[in-house]
Amino acid sequence: MEVEISRRKFLQGTVAMTVVGGAVGSSLLAHEGGESALRESVTTKTSTGEAEEVPFLCGICVNKCAGFARVEEGKVTKLNPNPYFPKSRNMLCPRGNAGIQTTYDPDRLKYPMIRIGKRGEGKFKRVTWEEAYEAILNGTKDFKGLAQIIDEEKDNRSTIGYCNGEGLSKEGFEDLVGKKIGTPNYVDEVSICLETAGAGFFATIGAYPEIDPEHADYMIIAGANRAEAIITPDTQDIFKQTKGRGMKTICIDPRFTNTAAKSDKWLPVNPGTDLAYMLAMTYVVFNENLQNEAFMKKHGTGYEEYKQHILAHKYTPEWAEPICGIPAKEIYAMAREFMNAERPIFYPGRRSVFSPNDYQYRRAIAIFQALSGNLDQKGGYIYGNPIMLPPEFVNAPIYDQAQERFDTEGIAFPTIKSGSWIVFRNMILEGKNPYPVRVMMMRKHNPMMSVPNSAKTRELLMKMDLNVMIDILPSDTAMFADVILPEASYLERTSPVKSYGWLEPSIVQRRAAIKPLFETKEPEVIYKELAEKLAKPLFEISKKYDKDLQEQIKQRGEEKVFKEDGYDLADAWEMPVHEKNKEVVEKVFGEKAWETLNEKGVYYPHMEEYHKQLSPNDFQYYPKSKRFYSTQGDKLKVTCKYDHLATKGIDAMPTWHDEWKFSVPEGKFRLITGRHAQFTQSGTTNNAMLRDLIPTNFVWINKRKAEEMGIAFGDMVEVKSEVGTVQLQAYPTEKIAPNQTFMLHGFGSESKGMEMAYGNGANDAVLIKDDIEPTFGAAVMHSTNVEIRRV
Amino acid sequence: MARYGMALDYKNCINCKACEVACKEENGVLLGADKHRIWVGVKEVEGQWPNLDIVSNTFVPSQCQHCEDAPCQEVCPTHATYYDENHVVRVNSDKCILCSYCMNACPYDARYVDDRTMTVDKCTFCSDTRLARGETTTACQNTCPTKVRTFGDLDDPESEISILLKTRDHFSLKSHLGTNPKLFYLT
Amino acid sequence: MSIKEFITSIPVNKVGIKDILKFEKSPTNLLVAALTLLFLAFFVIGVGIYLVHGHHAYGVTRQHPWGLLIAVYIFFVVSSTGLCIVGSLGDVFGFKDYEMISKRAIFGSIVTILGGFAVIAFEIGHPVRMLIYNILSPGMRSAIWWMGTLYGIYLTFMIIEFIFLLKHDMKNARIFGLIGLLVGLAAHSNLGGVFGFLNSRTISNGVFYPTYFILTAFITGIYIAFIMMGFRYKLRFPDNAKVMLTNLALIQALLLAILMFFETWKMLTGIYGGMPGRADVAEHILTTWPFWAEVIFGMLIPFLVALLTKGKNHVMMFWASLIGMVGIFFMRYDLVHDTQLKPLQMMKTREYMLPPEWVHYFPSSTEMMISLGGLGIVVLLYYVGTKVFNLDADAH
Repeated sequence: MEVEISRRKFLQGTVAMTVVGGAVGSSLLAHEGGESALRESVTTKTSTGEAEEVPFLCGICVNKCAGFARVEEGKVTKLNPNPYFPKSRNMLCPRGNAGIQTTYDPDRLKYPMIRIGKRGEGKFKRVTWEEAYEAILNGTKDFKGLAQIIDEEKDNRSTIGYCNGEGLSKEGFEDLVGKKIGTPNYVDEVSICLETAGAGFFATIGAYPEIDPEHADYMIIAGANRAEAIITPDTQDIFKQTKGRGMKTICIDPRFTNTAAKSDKWLPVNPGTDLAYMLAMTYVVFNENLQNEAFMKKHGTGYEEYKQHILAHKYTPEWAEPICGIPAKEIYAMAREFMNAERPIFYPGRRSVFSPNDYQYRRAIAIFQALSGNLDQKGGYIYGNPIMLPPEFVNAPIYDQAQERFDTEGIAFPTIKSGSWIVFRNMILEGKNPYPVRVMMMRKHNPMMSVPNSAKTRELLMKMDLNVMIDILPSDTAMFADVILPEASYLERTSPVKSYGWLEPSIVQRRAAIKPLFETKEPEVIYKELAEKLAKPLFEISKKYDKDLQEQIKQRGEEKVFKEDGYDLADAWEMPVHEKNKEVVEKVFGEKAWETLNEKGVYYPHMEEYHKQLSPNDFQYYPKSKRFYSTQGDKLKVTCKYDHLATKGIDAMPTWHDEWKFSVPEGKFRLITGRHAQFTQSGTTNNAMLRDLIPTNFVWINKRKAEEMGIAFGDMVEVKSEVGTVQLQAYPTEKIAPNQTFMLHGFGSESKGMEMAYGNGANDAVLIKDDIEPTFGAAVMHSTNVEIRRV
Repeated sequence: MARYGMALDYKNCINCKACEVACKEENGVLLGADKHRIWVGVKEVEGQWPNLDIVSNTFVPSQCQHCEDAPCQEVCPTHATYYDENHVVRVNSDKCILCSYCMNACPYDARYVDDRTMTVDKCTFCSDTRLARGETTTACQNTCPTKVRTFGDLDDPESEISILLKTRDHFSLKSHLGTNPKLFYLT
Repeated sequence: MSIKEFITSIPVNKVGIKDILKFEKSPTNLLVAALTLLFLAFFVIGVGIYLVHGHHAYGVTRQHPWGLLIAVYIFFVVSSTGLCIVGSLGDVFGFKDYEMISKRAIFGSIVTILGGFAVIAFEIGHPVRMLIYNILSPGMRSAIWWMGTLYGIYLTFMIIEFIFLLKHDMKNARIFGLIGLLVGLAAHSNLGGVFGFLNSRTISNGVFYPTYFILTAFITGIYIAFIMMGFRYKLRFPDNAKVMLTNLALIQALLLAILMFFETWKMLTGIYGGMPGRADVAEHILTTWPFWAEVIFGMLIPFLVALLTKGKNHVMMFWASLIGMVGIFFMRYDLVHDTQLKPLQMMKTREYMLPPEWVHYFPSSTEMMISLGGLGIVVLLYYVGTKVFNLDADAH
């Protein structure tokens, strides 16, 4: 059967999950009232009859909130929050609630498919799982298979590149392609997300900490939009304290976000210049001797040098004001208020890398927080005591012919594990790779929309001999696949048990609420079956080229080597996930713990004793006396000066360089990106419920500027950068500066397989230049200037 | 037999709209711009960048106020709108003739037309879903990330909502209309 | 007398389809006939679309649930009440000069209210259910219940009155006419009450609409009286008609003066003091063209014609009345639309929208077709009536 992914064909295969009646009945509205009438009738009223409540972990974003799925007659009708999980605090956000619509999305990938048209054209045919695995191994007349490619590359497994999105089954895919099949060429969301934030804090204070807003009395939240980019439990905890209710909150952000609206003060900052006010605040502290000197003397390394460095550079607020745009008096006030507060928190933040100095900015924040002494204690940064699960052992073969990863150009400290998406891609396109990269194995990742400069990503995908995609929706990237394997969504699968939380730690398990729909399979089943398919034939290739292997076989016999040295690729998935979870949890925490975990989705020691409902809305997870507020003691170390950095030309102490000054040529706008609470990147772009809340993305233009340009609300405008051009509707607003513009990330899909997402809004990845920051090669998101004109 | 009301600690609201989605999923509400039972109202921020008036930008979750003296109930020609045994303002869709008078009479824009039954629909405090199953919270309260909402029995002096209303200042929307709303905004 | 005998003794002309199709083929008549047929076809198409798509076929929304069909319903029932008042002048109150129009006006009141019912049946979502639950579970505090119920009774009395008029039983006609008139006035002021009771709609709330409805009904009745008489006599009025029409024109001038006085004070009190929800709406209304269509066509032009000709130029009054009816249509449309102009929820509910301002409404093609269809039904019924019944005054 020939299947072209088009809306009609996809709908034909749809089981009657959406009540089509509603959609047909409103078809007239669809014409008159616009697109919002699409798929009106997708919800199911919960019944008062029998239902099963299955503990699940939300997978619609990174937070992994816990919930109970209400299952009526085999269908999930409602997702409710789980009151046992300390991290998610008995809540599901709008996206969490709308997760049902992802599982029952009529556009879902329903069965394995093989490309039959040209690459990227979107023509596929439906095949069996066996046929799909066979196509990955041996190819079809349209594309080469793994066996041929690896043979041609003489068993250099590094010819395979692979990428992967965040989630509980992420490690399994890394095990399969990285450890088992044996390539180091891995890229994931880290280098297009928060790499420098985590690394900056870790290098400076030894952790990317949690915070304790409950006991804090002052917070500066800069470049983090917790009201819209929800992070649990920070979002829940912070906004109960703001607006004159215990925790004075200063929001620093170029845009007036919902977080700004919920703060006590909003200070707009020039994009990419945060380091300037950070240094200036530090200057004020040192100049006025406001710091906790005893604390720093005890825990700081290079502290005196840092003090001299800051004072000597004269990073005064007056110096910073013209750079960052924040008035000097506000910088003075923040520095003084912060240091005078009992329990101040400079929010560690969690977001993409916006500027090339982000790593130093994070270091400066961490040191600034340390200057208050409010580390590792109530109301401050929390190190806590996470529950450790035993590490999983994967018997990884050693491939002699495999080569090292190469994506290091322009990077001081290349990360071995997840590399740099941009450098990896660009070096291949520029022919700077020392050996051919011919395969992309991809899972739950949509680089066409997430990695800056989509045109280059397209070029990379077109260049490959084989692209494999495992996902739940026909994303823009899936359109470039040769083989598509449909995965079960998070409501249809049990996932490996996971540990969360430091202050109030727990372990959680996602249990499948329903069986996989259509012909989809749980990721771990796919890994196992694919591994089984590939193991022997790939082993044969290794035998041909791998001298060490030949030697081993000679010594120990082929069967033994195959089994013992990990060439039996499927041995990592011998046990189904649920059984494996049981084994691990029972072994470490006992049978009772497993029962609790399996029934409630959550477990932590003394849970029965500690967990209490305090009011209709409030739960106690740990009594305060049992929470892990202070765990570090003398171990606490604040690295003000990090000499190791200087060995690769990175500043050992946060230092300002004038090349980071913010400037936008006349008539242009600096493009900044961000989030709304109802949307998780491109993954939710086809979710009917969320589309109802945010029908499309708009480009923000300062109201007065828009008026000057003759642009009104809803006018179609063209946005053009040096790497791409898009069109979308305009949103004139005073919430942004006249020389800046914002658009919500994740729209503008070009995949016709997704009825609601296709052609809706604009994809910011098309516009954003592929700039990297110098430390790890992480993508810099806010360095692109654009032109805007009415069309 | 109870007298249900809801207190909203509305300053906690971050305008995430989890309540709106939970309501739709729980009660099988249709999608579409006009079809919500509950919503979060946003007052556009005043001022010009960078001098924006931070207090002008408020988020106000709203819905049917379950008035003690509900104009929608008064104007209904067929008693399709009624107070149930828990003082919840409900619509009997079998009796509703869709004259839309209630939609015009409700001062809170809390009513809309459900296209499946072609009758007027509105917030039920989850009476026919969650409460009918013996649960004690509405979908919107239960899911709220910042725990804006407290639902409960106003006649029970020990209930959380009664205690809240006795101990915290609060106001009602359009109270001058004499509708006596049972939604209370805590300040 | 048995009911059967009573009914068979009603004087009707024995007419067949052929007689009905027979009329003078003047250009005006042909145009009216063609338009009527077109409107009836519209009605069938409009109702067909409505039956398939329900209210989606209309331009109504959550913020503007009442649309053109409500306005047209009001237009027809106001016409009916007005004709009832005009008809009552002769046979209820005994003013001899007006007896010549009584039967015609009472018949007109019947066909216009039937036209109104035909339209509202497709605006009310469940008209059959309404008939059932109006009786089984009456909402006695609802102005719509009273309005609907009283109009039902009113229609019954109008039909009975009309029959007695046909039978030239003036005593019974007077009794039923009086009751019908009182019920009609009650029903009609309740229709005003439907709007007047809306606490939340400050612009409409209060005493204005219930009283203004009676006043404008009378005005409408006189406009239609001119139109009916104009068609009846092809604008060549006999002397007895001239006496009546002159009187009616002068009454009309007085009524219009009162209406304009009312309207002026309504707008003045509306704007004065700047009360939110009322002053802003009133000011906004002044900037909308349908309001000025209402004032100019519905009031000013007919008033000036009546005044300047001292009511004696009946042909001009005929044309002024036609213009007046256009104005009356806008009056009905404005009252429905203006009531709903200001959103009751003024906050944004989505990031990417403009803050709610004035509620926008424009009738859909389906609504327009059904509305014109209502007019077609009224004209057809009236035309058939002129064939079946003797609508002229009986010779004494």
